[in-house]
Amino acid sequence: MGRLLMLSTLIFLLGGCGMIQDVKPWEKDQLAKETLTPAGSDTNLHAFRKHLYFSKEASKGGGGVAGGGCGCN
Amino acid sequence: MQLKPSLLAFTLLLAAHAQADDYVAVHYIHYDEGSGRTTIQTPTVELNKDFGTDYTLNLSAGRDALSGASPTWYDATSGASARLPDHAVPANDIHYGNIPYDDNRTFVSGALTTRFENRDALTVGLNYSSESDYLSRGVSAEYLHYLDESKNRSVSVGLSYQKNSVDVHCFLGNTICDAISGASSKTITKDLDVINAEIGLTQILDTQSLIKASLFYNYESGYLSNPYMRVVRNTTHIVEEAKPNARKGGGATLTYSRALTDALSVNLYYRFYHDDWDITSHTISLSTFYELNDTLTLGLAGRYYTQSAAWFYHPGKDHFTDETYASSDRRMGAWDAYDLKVSADIHVSETVTIQGAAGYYTQPGTFHSRYLSVGIQYGF
Repeated sequence: MGRLLMLSTLIFLLGGCGMIQDVKPWEKDQLAKETLTPAGSDTNLHAFRKHLYFSKEASKGGGGVAGGGCGCN
Repeated sequence: MQLKPSLLAFTLLLAAHAQADDYVAVHYIHYDEGSGRTTIQTPTVELNKDFGTDYTLNLSAGRDALSGASPTWYDATSGASARLPDHAVPANDIHYGNIPYDDNRTFVSGALTTRFENRDALTVGLNYSSESDYLSRGVSAEYLHYLDESKNRSVSVGLSYQKNSVDVHCFLGNTICDAISGASSKTITKDLDVINAEIGLTQILDTQSLIKASLFYNYESGYLSNPYMRVVRNTTHIVEEAKPNARKGGGATLTYSRALTDALSVNLYYRFYHDDWDITSHTISLSTFYELNDTLTLGLAGRYYTQSAAWFYHPGKDHFTDETYASSDRRMGAWDAYDLKVSADIHVSETVTIQGAAGYYTQPGTFHSRYLSVGIQYGF
């Protein structure tokens, strides 16, 4: 947990140091692609695989509800 | 038989983010563990529809047909049965093996995304799934807020609540039924409530890459045991397992996605998880997609998972005596798992895409499974 918080802080600091580019909306065609998500285009199979993991493994959560805004919509 | 509902609400919210075009998709998935264990056949249908630029509706439904067998302890002299023996069983007659079952699961879910003037988005979801002995109803919400003018940095907060009902069949011989004086019902319904919360940060790094980090927390309260799972106490008594009636867990995820070229992209994902049952796990996955041409997109994905055992777990039949909590459910044990998937999307026309995938999931030394998926997506 602590490491993630440090990373999140680092992301913001990197932005201040210019290591993160200011990407304009018209430059986001690559970022808007389905292939830039772990699920790809087949969200049904992705949901099934998550159900498989949920049914067979003891860990839960972290499935991706948070994050994901690329400013493409 | 309870495979238990997935975090359908969260899955659906993810789906709503991944695809924003109007489409209807139909899929069929076949899952087989082999060796007489679980087989699942799942047809699904999904609709995604934008209403202007401010609203997106996603609906999906499906039905699992499950059959096969699930491993636990049983009295070999009376055959592999889910029913508990009401007498002491000689240790040599206690075997660990597959108990047959079959069931159907119907699931329906929906999510509505509303985008505001500043393009922040609120997604509200509902989900429902039903098995012969398990009912799940859930609601979820996620708010996405952009932190900068170019919308390159965003934070999102998600929350979901599930109310589940578990039917424990008294004909199985469970003591939970015996504890109710004068009970005439043949099933006892137990509740299980689940709360999930997640907060995440997404940062676009450049025109080809972005990174996501999240923290999540789960709280489960109620009947967390499986009425079909057994333990052996005092070496001669086969009784139902007893898991604690609450669990708190959480962790962190990190996802890095990058378009290496116009055609080749890669997604890296890591998850750390820990809960108060002493289960700690690490998950690493990699998925790549290659757009061979305008017609064909190929995919390759791999996943590695490892977990430690719950503190009340033991696989042996000569271990438990009078412990309050005891389980031989292998899902509570320490092991590794691997998943490998290949996929192909064939863009037949501007509006029609045929999707196919094949995968292999294994927990070495325990079981192996294969799954196939075929589907067609029509954009409109």
